[in-house]
Amino acid sequence: MELFDNLLLGLSTALQLNNLIYCLIGVVIGTAIGVLPGIGPIPTVALLLPFTFGLEPASALIMLAGIFYGAQYGGSTTAILVNVPGETSSVVTCLDGHEMAKQGRAGPALAIAAISSFFAGTVATVVIAVLSLPLAALALRFTAVEYFSLLVLGLFAAVILAHGSVAKSLAMVFLGLLIGTVGIDVNSGIARMTFGVPALADGLDFVPVAMGMFGLAEIIANLERPEVRQVVSQKLRDLIPSRADLKAAFPAMVRGTFIGSALGVLPGGGAALPPFTAYALEKKLAKDPSRFGKGAIEGVAGPEAANNAGAQTSFIPLLTLGIPANALMALMIGALMMQGIQPGPQVMTEQPALVWGVIASMWTGNLMLLIINLPLVGLWVSMLKIPYRLLFPAIVLFCCIGTYGISNSAFNVWLMLGCAVVGYFFIKVGVEPAPLLLGLVLGPQLEENFRRAMQLSDGDPSVFLTRPISAVLLGVVAVMLLAMLSPAVLKTRKEALAE
Amino acid sequence: MRIVTRRRFDWPDLLFGLFLIAVAAGTFAATWRLAGGTAADMGPGYMPRAIALVLLAFGAFFAVRGSRRAYAGIERVQLRPILGVGVSVGVFALLIESAGLAAASFASIVIAAVASRESRFFEVILFGLFITAGAVLLFVKALALPVAIWPW
Repeated sequence: MELFDNLLLGLSTALQLNNLIYCLIGVVIGTAIGVLPGIGPIPTVALLLPFTFGLEPASALIMLAGIFYGAQYGGSTTAILVNVPGETSSVVTCLDGHEMAKQGRAGPALAIAAISSFFAGTVATVVIAVLSLPLAALALRFTAVEYFSLLVLGLFAAVILAHGSVAKSLAMVFLGLLIGTVGIDVNSGIARMTFGVPALADGLDFVPVAMGMFGLAEIIANLERPEVRQVVSQKLRDLIPSRADLKAAFPAMVRGTFIGSALGVLPGGGAALPPFTAYALEKKLAKDPSRFGKGAIEGVAGPEAANNAGAQTSFIPLLTLGIPANALMALMIGALMMQGIQPGPQVMTEQPALVWGVIASMWTGNLMLLIINLPLVGLWVSMLKIPYRLLFPAIVLFCCIGTYGISNSAFNVWLMLGCAVVGYFFIKVGVEPAPLLLGLVLGPQLEENFRRAMQLSDGDPSVFLTRPISAVLLGVVAVMLLAMLSPAVLKTRKEALAE
Repeated sequence: MRIVTRRRFDWPDLLFGLFLIAVAAGTFAATWRLAGGTAADMGPGYMPRAIALVLLAFGAFFAVRGSRRAYAGIERVQLRPILGVGVSVGVFALLIESAGLAAASFASIVIAAVASRESRFFEVILFGLFITAGAVLLFVKALALPVAIWPW
């Protein structure tokens, strides 16, 4: 019954009035940026990071987590009503959700999306609670050797499961690792690659890097494309879905939840991969697959459940092992470190109120989202009327202020500008910047553990293969890399990730 | 930059490869003074140079592949968005410590707006004033960011 004790402890943290308020702030901001195309959760979380410094660690994480899963809700609203995915994870929802809206069934589509998300969020919260304990217990037995192998596995898996060319993503991981070595070397106290800039002695802050590459570079690229946005103005009647709708949607909801929960735990999974998989499965299972793309309610329920479940279970590796599954979780690690908490398996035992509070807050947050999304959907839709020409200067300004605010240094603003230019270059040559962020955040941990492992083994690299857990982890990496070379796997991956 | 006459080279691959090679070369140049040490007792230069080697290999791979593949172009670079946003951020960095948040915010909004062709003059001025007021209230009053509002 340890599970119940833990969940109760979590609820008592999550239900504190100030934490409820931060959770509400998080999910409201999340919904807003989810609704608005052109700004995603990564720059938003990066922007708010500096201001969480003064909060309690639990409040800070509860709010930032709320932004992430709130964005999944908001993204589907835009997908259904406007046929523009607010977030990548809601691309699939456009297919059948917008079709339903065109047939005048926008109300039920929105309701099913919200209910599926809530259902998935609730189940995923339990999944996190159940899986966290054994994983953390396992991780406590890890030494530097196993930890290094686990980090390697995490990085490789994140690259292979994410979008884009594997070779380019791997190169980006190494680029991130390299940037991560900038600063004073912990062991020798010698400055590395600081080019005499004192602000670089503590290493590159990842907030300016994230905001430059994800926030500003995206804006510059967006401005090059002509604006297309047609708001479908529709009277939203009949928000309540019929019994037949619910009956059709429920099995899809359950399947989507399980797919999402499973894929979310995998590094690189997060919120993008699950909805595509869930949609493909629903289409395969349907008696009449031709209904899909023409307003099938299962095509909304399955992917919506999957992306919310995935968004939440992607917290599992972070909370139990201290390893981020995607770029956003890397920012969460940053938030923990700003609070003076070293992420890792020990957090679970040393800060139970924090970990379980965050887990329980996902449930309260999902409840809030259900309420702020369904009755207030009209409000969010009206936000879409803000033209991009006004939106983007405000985002630019907020990025500047946020970056400056981390340590009151104008240097960070210049750094962000540099990263924006590099990020723009990456967009132009078609390279995803997310792996770089993962490498940057994990770099110092990777180097530290590698060093310690080498000291343990007197410089003998075979130690990674003679220790059983480490050997298995690296074996998985090898299998994944080999599988990537086989044409059959390559083809399925291409299909699975193809829009 | 689009080369029309010679339909060769996969430009995205080639440029990304050259970029990686440049980064690796820069790393070697910046760390050649640092001691490398051995795997058991790593010096400060060990990791950066090891990673730079990997980047060099990746860079060479992409550059060679890019120069052998059939032509693939890059969407034309438009100067207006990148200059507008870039100058806006730069001006903010220059003004924030000397002129205070209000002036820096307003300048940054107005300059950023130049990046879009659709911006309208009076709308931008009004919107800039509104957002500046909002930013001061939100960041300085509510979130207690320690920064001066006015230059004096």
